[in-house]
Amino acid sequence: MKKVAIKINGLIHQFIIEKDLALIDLLRKDLRLTGAKQSCDRKGQCGACTVIVNGKAVRSCLTKVAELDGAEVITIEGLGTPKNPHLIQEAFVLAGAIQCGFCTPGMILAAKALLDKDTNPTVDDIKKALRRNLCRCTGYKKIVEAIQLAGRFLRGELKPDQVRPDSKQGLIGVSHPRPSAMIKACGVAEFAADIYVSGAGELAAVHSPYAHALIKSIDPSAAEKMPGVFGVMTAKDIKGTNRLKYMVPDRPILCDKKVRFTGDPVAAVLAETREQAVAATQAVKVEYEPLAVMMTPDEALAKGAPQIDPDRPNLCFTQPQIRGDAETALAKSSAVIETDFSTQTNHQAPLEPEVCVSYLEEEDGDLPTLVVIGRSINIHYHMGMLQDAVGYENMRYEEAYTGGQFGIKIDVTSEGLTAAAALHFKRPVRYIPSLMESMWLSSKRHAFHMKVRLGADAQGKLTAYSIDFTVNNGAYSSNGTVIVNRALMMLSGSYYIPAVQAMSRLVYTNTIWGAAARGAGPPQVNYALESAVDMLAEKMGIDPLEFRLMNILKPGQPKSTGRVVEQWPLPELMEAMRPHYNRARNEAAKINRKDGVVKRGVGLGTGSFGIGGPGDTATVAVELDPDGGLTVFGAAADPGEGNDSMLTQIAGYLMNVPMDKIRLATRTTDRTTAAGPAAGSRITYMLGGALADAIQKLKSAMAEANAATAEQLRAAGKPTRYMGTKKNEDAGPLDPQTGQGPSFESQVHAVQLAEVEVNTATGEVRVVKMTTAVDAGRVINPQNLEGQLEGGMDMGVGFALREIYINGQTKDWVTFKFPTIGHAFEMETIIRETPRAKGPLGATGVGEMTMVPTAPAVMNAIANACGARVHHLPATPDKVLAALSEAKG
Amino acid sequence: MERTAPTAAVRQELGERVRLIAGREITFDGEGFFWDPHQWSEEAAAALAEEAGLKDVGEAHWTILQFLREYYFQNGRSPLNRQIKEGTGISLMEMEALFPGGIKYGARRLAGLPNPRNCI
Repeated sequence: MKKVAIKINGLIHQFIIEKDLALIDLLRKDLRLTGAKQSCDRKGQCGACTVIVNGKAVRSCLTKVAELDGAEVITIEGLGTPKNPHLIQEAFVLAGAIQCGFCTPGMILAAKALLDKDTNPTVDDIKKALRRNLCRCTGYKKIVEAIQLAGRFLRGELKPDQVRPDSKQGLIGVSHPRPSAMIKACGVAEFAADIYVSGAGELAAVHSPYAHALIKSIDPSAAEKMPGVFGVMTAKDIKGTNRLKYMVPDRPILCDKKVRFTGDPVAAVLAETREQAVAATQAVKVEYEPLAVMMTPDEALAKGAPQIDPDRPNLCFTQPQIRGDAETALAKSSAVIETDFSTQTNHQAPLEPEVCVSYLEEEDGDLPTLVVIGRSINIHYHMGMLQDAVGYENMRYEEAYTGGQFGIKIDVTSEGLTAAAALHFKRPVRYIPSLMESMWLSSKRHAFHMKVRLGADAQGKLTAYSIDFTVNNGAYSSNGTVIVNRALMMLSGSYYIPAVQAMSRLVYTNTIWGAAARGAGPPQVNYALESAVDMLAEKMGIDPLEFRLMNILKPGQPKSTGRVVEQWPLPELMEAMRPHYNRARNEAAKINRKDGVVKRGVGLGTGSFGIGGPGDTATVAVELDPDGGLTVFGAAADPGEGNDSMLTQIAGYLMNVPMDKIRLATRTTDRTTAAGPAAGSRITYMLGGALADAIQKLKSAMAEANAATAEQLRAAGKPTRYMGTKKNEDAGPLDPQTGQGPSFESQVHAVQLAEVEVNTATGEVRVVKMTTAVDAGRVINPQNLEGQLEGGMDMGVGFALREIYINGQTKDWVTFKFPTIGHAFEMETIIRETPRAKGPLGATGVGEMTMVPTAPAVMNAIANACGARVHHLPATPDKVLAALSEAKG
Repeated sequence: MERTAPTAAVRQELGERVRLIAGREITFDGEGFFWDPHQWSEEAAAALAEEAGLKDVGEAHWTILQFLREYYFQNGRSPLNRQIKEGTGISLMEMEALFPGGIKYGARRLAGLPNPRNCI
């Protein structure tokens, strides 16, 4: 033990501590200063736990308290409060640098340490100071801008009020700060691990070391005797179905008969401390009988391969798409590209681990309520899944603040374990899985393998497209069929292709299960299509921009599903991009005239992304409050996109009341409408639409009653609460034989321009700049729109060049190759606003489309730079060099 | 082109089904919940109750079914169990006993309330 005196946020404390106590534990556990976050298993990789010690930014997970005697520590809580924020916190809020907010306290403190020394740092200074702080949401651009803005505030050149939009500027098309931004900047937004839970047991799971094996026996007796252990839970202790049924009931909370991937959970230990629980997991004896392992679709489809799921064949879903006679059209085409592409299994990589808390809330004389606090983006649906899985109906789900998700929370992860454990052990349960466990507990982006043929006639008009794609579903289904259908619904991308022939296969394997990941299907198939488009343009000697313009779908023409579109404002984006394209080509030509190993290339990609799928319905309720404000009720999860801004600004605009009188009830199943998932970029379009409908009903009632207040409405005998609905008139599945049928009600369009430099000696690729021209309809909040675009471009470049999830090798953020601020590149956004006919105020969504064109744009730029066409993502240096060698013959 | 054949159970899990109940076509999801709550009628509820083994739909049953439907259209979702108890004055354990299948798979299904939606 050692005694130390430390000044923390201005107050001197004395601590008698064990020598190995980490500062993050003193802050979070003992002092309840939870602004310092934990993401990387204390490896110092994420910077989310950054605090300032003696003027320097340090990672509190690596800092020992015993070494801090006499030190001065500043945490985010010591910087400012929401009512009295520090200028740096103001700058982060006003610059739009805060999305999910999980990295924000660490970012702000790293910025403070820098700005305390130099209030006018260069971009390079900023990048150096924040080199250890990761962000998955922003692409770092607005973080750099926030620090520059903070510098101006600190130098006295500018005051926050001069930057902050005022109400006279209106509510639509104005970058009002997000309602949740300031509490995130001040570190007081509570993520699940930050919530104080009295007497909580800490959970740890036993994970399978085998990718495919029968469970012969589980012996928990040794673990049960270990210090602090409350007990061990296995499948037999779960009273419900023990199946998390997203679409099919194939995924257990705890495996009972067999394990299907390395990392599958087989038992859970609850103990007084996390360390005790983790230690006890090592003592749970599980006897396995290994089975044949099939890691790839080819292996799973091989003759004689054992069936992974007892009820479904390994080839668990197929769906063709046939429009016209593609074979004949290809045979008659003047030019045809025939090749194959593949994309990798990838982790969505939210910074926050898959944390969850569950407890029983007592009811007088009746069944207690099981409360689950997690990171769901579909709280009502997930609550229903959990009710069946754990066999307990009296339940409530609450969404805590969520540190990013990017599709990963389309399905239940750690909630099943904590909910079952709270019931089994009858005590509060907290589960803070490690980063590697979080990767095991959650889905991944599906790997696709695609064989394509794309043809054009002598004039350069596309004639036919044939694609045969196989999707590695992994060990469990989740929403695999949806991913395949979404890929097919957007198969022809931005183009009119008269004849289409597609075959899709979804295949169970013994890899981690796949599910939603930003874009959810289209990023994979669009990479193949847009690469083939460029290859075909080159083969025909037509400029890629002109070739795309010639073939863009026009209103009145059908997509590959047969659905005729009414709006398709993409040519205008191409024209808006033209001067940037010309400038970039000229600059590249100038650079490439010099001798040297580094070659500059320019590539285009387009994306036309459907929003508001067939049968999609959303409801939102509004209630006129006594003070003239409005409360909005709807389960609109906001893991960082800015849905709070969207709902608040639309409601304020339509009701003509200030934003601070709009109250949101969006996070708990006992107050919200069941409005569907915060997925598919649908929240603005669907919930925004339902909100507008609800307000219209309220205003009609107020007009009929000649009422201006809730009191007058009630006096007139009318309710103060109204329900709004937004429903896509299209419904039903694709035809199982032809893949023709309904489609999305709206599209968001984008063109991206990638400028890259390829080192032809090493194969390394540097993205110099990404430019996006986007039309997402009327823009509610420009800063939020840009934030989505910038984060998506960064994620898209990571997908294109670096990121891959390999079970067993990908263990943390370094092995995942998480994009750092050092990888950040210049970004520019061009916004066009074509009002969408059926969108709220003319708006549609944008969050996923932003990375749909990125990978092909980057690949096309690499090919343009040096002739190397990379067919298999990610385009790591070895693949670039191999492609370069192939190009040289 | 080849096409795999999921088992009948899988088709049922994935898709909706149309059935003739009390003389009207009603669309159900894979778990037997109404796809569209507006297709509900008292006659349909009584017929489904009989199918489930509940022959006499009494006053307490109708109180719960009516509460569920009113709550759904007012709030855009099914009530939590605690809220049904508050709204009807009937304890959860009594409600569980009243409906074969309990509250969710018994009462809520008979009341024609749809499941929350998942994917698009």
